[in-house]
Amino acid sequence: MNISAPAGATAFPTIASASADIAAKKLSPVELTTHLLARIKTVDPVINAFLLVTEERALADAKAAEARMMAGTRIGPLDGIPIAHKDIYNTAGIRTTAHSRQLEHNVPAADATSVAKLAAAGTIMLGKLATHEFAFGGPSFDLPWPPARNPWNPLHFTAGSSSGTGAAIAAGLILGGTGSDTGGSIRGPAALCGIAGIKPTYGRISRAGILPLAYTLDHSGPMAWTVQDCALMLQAMAGYDKADPAASTKPVPDFSATLGNGVKGLKIGVIRHFHETDNPVSPATLKGINDAADLFRSMGAEIQEITLSPMQDYGACGFLIMIQEAYALHEKWMQNSFEKYGELLRDRMGLAAFLTGADYMQAIRKRRELCLEMAAAIAGVDIFLTASQPMEAPLIDAVPKWAAFEKPNFTMPFNVTGYPAISICSGYGTGGLPVSIQLIAKPFEETKLFGVADAYEKATDWRSQRPAL
Amino acid sequence: MPTKTTRVDFDALVRRAGLTLTEDQIATFHGAFGYIETMLENIRRPVRGREAEPALTFDPEGFQ
Repeated sequence: MNISAPAGATAFPTIASASADIAAKKLSPVELTTHLLARIKTVDPVINAFLLVTEERALADAKAAEARMMAGTRIGPLDGIPIAHKDIYNTAGIRTTAHSRQLEHNVPAADATSVAKLAAAGTIMLGKLATHEFAFGGPSFDLPWPPARNPWNPLHFTAGSSSGTGAAIAAGLILGGTGSDTGGSIRGPAALCGIAGIKPTYGRISRAGILPLAYTLDHSGPMAWTVQDCALMLQAMAGYDKADPAASTKPVPDFSATLGNGVKGLKIGVIRHFHETDNPVSPATLKGINDAADLFRSMGAEIQEITLSPMQDYGACGFLIMIQEAYALHEKWMQNSFEKYGELLRDRMGLAAFLTGADYMQAIRKRRELCLEMAAAIAGVDIFLTASQPMEAPLIDAVPKWAAFEKPNFTMPFNVTGYPAISICSGYGTGGLPVSIQLIAKPFEETKLFGVADAYEKATDWRSQRPAL
Repeated sequence: MPTKTTRVDFDALVRRAGLTLTEDQIATFHGAFGYIETMLENIRRPVRGREAEPALTFDPEGFQ
């Protein structure tokens, strides 16, 4: 299925490499876009990453970017870069479905703030990407569109809910994309698809125009093949927005400032009990974490062990908040058009119908305790290290309906506290499927997080492998 | 997953929620409710004093 890359491009360009080639007028945004549209036609029927390909829009965007390139008026590093959006991001005049029958024909009037920001940065929109229904239930086989499949082996799961974004980037169909993360929906698919995905600090990116799942846990963020590419995308997406009540007024730093600086002198805390006791990970995942700690130590970082409350405590708190906030949003539909949801979403979210206001209040009282605990623990270090997924991707038709209820996940703790967290590839395990590590920083220290993740990525060769599609 | 809530009590919760469910759907929810009960017990530990505030507090300046 290989399709020749356009002249001037490497076989699988990253955002950074394509941007440099466009800046040097060695790569045409129109040729790059045409190449990717052709690759989507060939590859996407295998992995179902796209719900909608916006070919006409993409070519118009590409021609505009090319004209700026030729005129020497490029907007910035994302000008001429093809991306796509998770289908919970509103796109003006373009269908936005949440992968649900409930919104099958929904066409928003306006772009989400981050969609508008990425367009203003010169990106080329290739289309809308698969998600778990309303960013929550999946993988589902009873929706109007099939679930995305893992490019490393299409019989396997992508994780979710930003499933299409993870699959499309790993397959080389787009150079970057948007995701959302309420309990791990950026970091999960980044982990299982072997790419990079950051959930920034709560409030760092506007959520305005993104279909909500749970107001106090929802984060928007970029996903890409490399850490550097995530930093470039976050630069365009971050910043205050009066349309989002939770948007931070903090200044936006240069997220690429620490790339290449290494980790010398930093303190990295390993939350060992998360991945060894609370939810023991696969041998390949554990090796990736231990090797990362050894690598950081060899590069001059100090490694410490961190103890928090059991991951189950964070999971219970986050999950109960998530389903109750989500149910409040969906209550009318749940009461009046229950059957229009896929089975997984309605069964998982529907459990919130039987809870009380006191249950919600107890969860957010617990949340304060957990936030205070984590703040104290991270005060003595710069970065936390643990898993982002327990193992390699399982078979897509073997994901239990109640899996998320049975074992706590590694990502929810940092939605509960709102800390920035990134998932990056740490090798390949059973059957050649990716494994990953998760790095976490203090609130609004994404720049430090990128620096550490980039140091790891550049010291390993995991980025040299791509799915054989 | 074992559930402490009896089926009779669970039926009352379904009526309060205003959902129109089939017998199979009610059985599915009831069968999974044990997971929720475990989480509800978890978030109530440790026992808190009256002054233990929630993570989210009202901010009157947040609307200006």
